[in-house]
Formats: sequence, structure tokens, C-alpha cells
Amino acid sequence: MRRLAPPPRLVGRGTMYLMALLIALWILIPIYLITMAAFSPKDVIYSWPKSLMPQSFSLETLLFFLNAYGVLASVRNSVIVALLTLALSLVVGAPAGYALARFIFRGKDVYRLMILSTRAFPIVILSIPLAVAFIRWNLYDTVISVALVHTAMALPTTILVTSSVFIGVSKELEEAAMVLGCNRLQAFTKVALPLALPGLAASAIFTFVLSWNEVFAATILTLYNRTLPAHLFVQLAASPLPFRFAGGFFILVPAIVFMFFVRRYLFNLWGITLK
Amino acid sequence: MRRRVLLVLTATLLLGLLAACATPTPQVIKETVVVTKEVPVEVTKIVEVTKVVEKEVMVTPTPVDYGKVAFISTQCVPVEEAEKMRGVILKDFPGEVEFIPADYATFEDTVMAEVKAGKGKISVIGALHGQFPTLVAAGALQDLSHLVDMAKERGTPDAFIELGKYGTDKQYFIPWMQATYILAANKKALDYLPEGADPENLTWEQFRDWAKNIYEATGDKKLGFPVNGLLHRFLEGYIYPSYTGGMVTTFKTSEAVEMWKFIKDMWQYVHPESMSYEFMQEPLLSEEVWLAWDHTARLINAFKERPDDFLALPAPSGPKGKGFMPVVVGLAMPVTAPNQKGGEALIEYLTRPEVQITTLREVGFFPMIKVDYPGYVAKGIRLQGEAVSKQAAAPDAIPAMLPVGLGPRSGEINKIYRDAFTRIVINNEDIETVLKEEAEKLQTLMNETGAPCWPPDPPSKGACQVK
Repeated sequence: MRRLAPPPRLVGRGTMYLMALLIALWILIPIYLITMAAFSPKDVIYSWPKSLMPQSFSLETLLFFLNAYGVLASVRNSVIVALLTLALSLVVGAPAGYALARFIFRGKDVYRLMILSTRAFPIVILSIPLAVAFIRWNLYDTVISVALVHTAMALPTTILVTSSVFIGVSKELEEAAMVLGCNRLQAFTKVALPLALPGLAASAIFTFVLSWNEVFAATILTLYNRTLPAHLFVQLAASPLPFRFAGGFFILVPAIVFMFFVRRYLFNLWGITLK
Repeated sequence: MRRRVLLVLTATLLLGLLAACATPTPQVIKETVVVTKEVPVEVTKIVEVTKVVEKEVMVTPTPVDYGKVAFISTQCVPVEEAEKMRGVILKDFPGEVEFIPADYATFEDTVMAEVKAGKGKISVIGALHGQFPTLVAAGALQDLSHLVDMAKERGTPDAFIELGKYGTDKQYFIPWMQATYILAANKKALDYLPEGADPENLTWEQFRDWAKNIYEATGDKKLGFPVNGLLHRFLEGYIYPSYTGGMVTTFKTSEAVEMWKFIKDMWQYVHPESMSYEFMQEPLLSEEVWLAWDHTARLINAFKERPDDFLALPAPSGPKGKGFMPVVVGLAMPVTAPNQKGGEALIEYLTRPEVQITTLREVGFFPMIKVDYPGYVAKGIRLQGEAVSKQAAAPDAIPAMLPVGLGPRSGEINKIYRDAFTRIVINNEDIETVLKEEAEKLQTLMNETGAPCWPPDPPSKGACQVK
């Protein structure tokens, strides 16, 4: 704190609050405008000059949008894909992260680099081969296929984040547990894992959000079973304004609600404590 | 606390696994279909009634059910249009049609992937004339020659059927519907029409003067263009052919220079919000603009909602004639189509006269076949239809096709025209320099794709050359 606020302290703090306010407005104003427009009737959205205050309240576009074909199904698909991705990437990623944190082995740095390098392949060039492979394996157009690709995309972050989480859990504690009679596995499950849980939860959140927002793979790998972003991406790109606002509002709200529930763990990951 | 976190985590894991196991796809679709049928307020009731009738018909000895037909389309993508496709246009088809709207890139990748894998889910494809060549070249499409007789009997013009052959002896698509771009005018603007001008047969100069008169009388810029929408079609298919007689070959001729001077001059009276317009029906309805040029499907709500307030007008003419762009949408079937009979039946169904009229009424695309507009077609749509016919039948008409033969790079040609527009009209750069630089890019694109000229440019051997 002291480092951030040099001598002319009042000015410094004032500027900091001002910046914070600007950043907050930068994010909140679009959210406000989208929300207002989503709850406005069509003619208000088209009217000119436009007003910054809500003119009248209407659920017309939102309801049309909600009832439009495929929206609810795609929400359910999105949730399933996100949860599957979360589960798969933790099951595969957490042990890898633990290994990176605890053991010294030959080629460790290369291994770490290789994990990151998988992110260097743009999914765009992989799209057709991936789709072809999935069709041949009968996985095409299933939520599992999307979850698999999302897991592949999320793994690098999951592994690196969990490894730093496990580094934060003192090795001595595990050793002490083993001295007191635990075997290796028990020491991990009874001591290291509980201590690492908040961090793991945080990394799970990243995975969830990544999967929730991912459009490209989801669009290419599905036909009937679209996820919400894929469904919106296709339909809203060519839709009139009121539906875009409704769609924007619809994809915004779950993310915000989710953030409210999990921010404690996010702060935890960043080392800020929320009292 | 920790225990609770652990609990939550295991619960999510379990839920995830459970959810994964419990995804019976066919059920999923059935459920959602029920949802759609509750959507449109008035239409739903009709749907339910017809359903009952259908069930009675099923009892008769010849039940026709073509089963599930997956229909991917780059047209009718907007939410409202897709809902109309599912809820109204396709509802009487004897089978279950899965209408899958897709953008061009996704559509092409999906079909290509299915064809490469040797099996797929898609049975019918609906796309623009200019969106098929890559698939034709890849051998992804079936020969539909056996459906041509049916299309001809229903009155599809030979010229359109010929388009579906791509210069081969095979029929790759059956013409489905058409659209074009026209002018829409608020009747309030008529008071400011330049003297001696016929609104149904304007020149581009008169059109500009019209906007100028409005500006001088009211102080408002009431002319609008969808700069954030399909402006490139205005440049490629309307103003370029009208002024230069060509699209690609005449890109940097002296006539083109004059044309850009004219656009810059006209732009003084264009509403500044034009930069953000995608669909002109919205600013027309809010009366932010009085005059606009756009795609018929993007103007249709204005004519539907207030048919007495708006005029549908053919595009103006230039020194070389009346450039206009007909948009042809075709139906094709991939070689991997899993439901051959259902697919062919769907093509037959969509080209029926009564279905074509419904398509026009619901989504604003015009019939490909000869139809008599019945009384129940809304007045606004009839207005549009008349403007479309007048535009196409004008003695000085210069039809300009959407770019053909550029394959996956067809977006790049649009960018060249749009860039030229931004640099000349918005950034005020020197016209000749910009045209010279952009013409080089255009030539490179033509050389690299080897695309021969398409109308209105005269046919060429080898890649189209910019003069």
C-alpha cells in the first residue's frame, strides 16, 4: 500500500480512487446500457434521439428470445459442457500440477514449456480436421466432444495454476503427516489437498468461465447440440438490435452471478483476503 | 469451511458426470420443439389446430413421413427469420425438419468436414449462389439434375437454373428464393422531391438532390446507408455498374473517379449515424432517416409495420444504366446426405408455389417461380415486390452478380470496396491514389484465385483483369 501511494499522499489517493471509479464505470456503463435496452420495448430502442434513462419497461424481446427455438436447450448444453470441462480438467490437471510442484525430474522445464506451447495452436486451423476426426469417432455433435476440446484448451492454465497452488502448500506438512503414520496418498488427501482446495476452486472457476465463453470450437463441433455462445454467435450476428441486447443481457447475467458467488476464492488466489 | 468447499467440489464433479451420462439427444430435440410451438402468439393456435388434423390424416393407409431432415442454411439466420422458418414455413412438411442457421464460414467448414469424414447429418443446404463454388470444386455436392424438370414446370426461369450448373452439365443447386436491394422512402420526403423527378425512375443525381432538398428545408440529414451492414453491395452492384458499366474491370477508370466524386458529394447529406447502421428498417421506423438503400429482407419490417407511410422504390440509374444486384439462393444436397428421400422431398416442398408465397410473406425473400400475389400477401410486401420487378425489368437494367469463384476469399473483395470507401469518403484521401492502390489488391486477389469475370463485367479467359 505504502509503495503505491508516494509522498503527496492525498493527491495520490485521490487519483487512485478516480482511476478506480473510471475503470468501474468503463465496465458498468455498457452493462447498464445493455440491461436497460434488454428491458425496453422495440420502438424505444429504435427511437431517436436515444435516452440514457429507462423510458418504459417491457419483457417483450427478452421473452421472445427466451422462447426462441434452442435457447433453453443451449443453456443446458453450456452448463453441462462447462461442468464436464471443469471435472475433466481438474482430474487430469491437478495431479500434473502436483507433480510439477513436488518433484524434481529431468526435462521439467521443457515439460512446463510444452504444456504452454499447446496454447500456441490456433483452434481455427484445427477446426476441420478436428470435426472430421470427431465425426469418424461418432463424437461429433455431442456435449462430450465440446467438453474434450475445452478441456484441452483449459489444461495448460489448470496445470500451471494448480502447480503454483501446491507450491504454496508447505512440503514439510506432508512430511510431518508421513512421519506421524500416513502413507504418501493419505498425506496428500488428508493434508495437502484440503489446504490446496481454495486454490483449486479458483482454477476451476477459470476453467468454467473459459468453457462458458468459448465460441469457436463449440460452433464447429456441434449442429443440433449448440452451447449458448455458439447459438448466440450464429443467430445474433444477423439479428436486429433488440435481440442482440436481449442476448447480451442473457449471457452477461450468469457470468455476473457466478462471479458474485466465487469472488472470495478468486481473491484468495490473488492473495487478497476479504473480511 | 474447507469441508464445505470439498463438498461443493465433489458435488459439482458428480453432477458433471451425471449430466454427461444423462444426455439422450433425441429427447432433447423433442422437448425444444414443444417450446417453439408455444412462441408466436397468434401463429401457435393455428399450429396446434393443423397438428390435430395431421394426426387424423396419419390414420389413412398412406402415411408419408420423411423422418428427420437436417437443413443447414446461411439465409434466414436472424432469430425472427429462423423462428418463422421453423414455426410457419417448414411446419407443414411431412417430416421433422431441423433448421440449422449458420454463418458462411461455419457452414462451409461443417459441410466440408462431413464430406471429408464420409458421413454426416446434413441432408439439405440452403446458400447463396456465390457460396457454393468451393463445395462444387471439392466434389461435395450431389447432381440434382433429376429435380430440374420439376423446377422448370413450376416456372423457374432458365437463367436461374443455369446458374446452378456452374458451367458444368450437372445441376448443383435448385433455385430456392431471391432477394435484392432497393430504396425505401418515407412519404414525408415526397414534398422535397426535386422538380421533374419520377420517384420510380430516379437518377443518382436526383436522389442526391432529394436528400439535399430535405437537408436545406429541414436542417436534417435524412439519407441513410447501412455502412456497418451491406454497404459493399451498394458499391459493387449499384453505384459501380450504374456509373462505369462494370464492377471489377472498371475499378479505377476515369468514370470510377467521377463516381467517387459523386459519392463524396452525396455524403454531405447522409445521416452521420449511418456509420453504425446495419439494418435500415430500424432508422426508417424511428424516422431517423427518410431515404434509405438496403437489402429487401432488411427493409421488410418498415413496409410490414407501416405500409401506408413508406414507399418501395427501384434503385436509381447512372450514366451507364440502372445497376442492381439480384441475390439468388439455392438448395443443394451434400454427397453424404443421410436422408436422400427426405432431402429431395424438402426441396420439392420449398419450391411449391404456396410455400414460396409463405416464404415471401414471412421472411421477405421473393419467389423463384411464377406466382400470382394473392390478396392476403400484406400490402407492404406487395409494394416491395413491385419495386423489385420494376427494378429488374427496367430497360436500362444492369444486373450485377455477387462475386463468384473467389471461394473462401469472397470476403476479401468486399473489404477492398469498403476500404476504398473509407479512405476516399471518410478519410478524404486522394481518389486516384486510393483507387490505384486498392486496384492492385483487387488484381492480386483475382490472380491468386484465378476467378474469371462475372456479370456485369464481360466474360474473360483466365483471371479477371482490372483495366
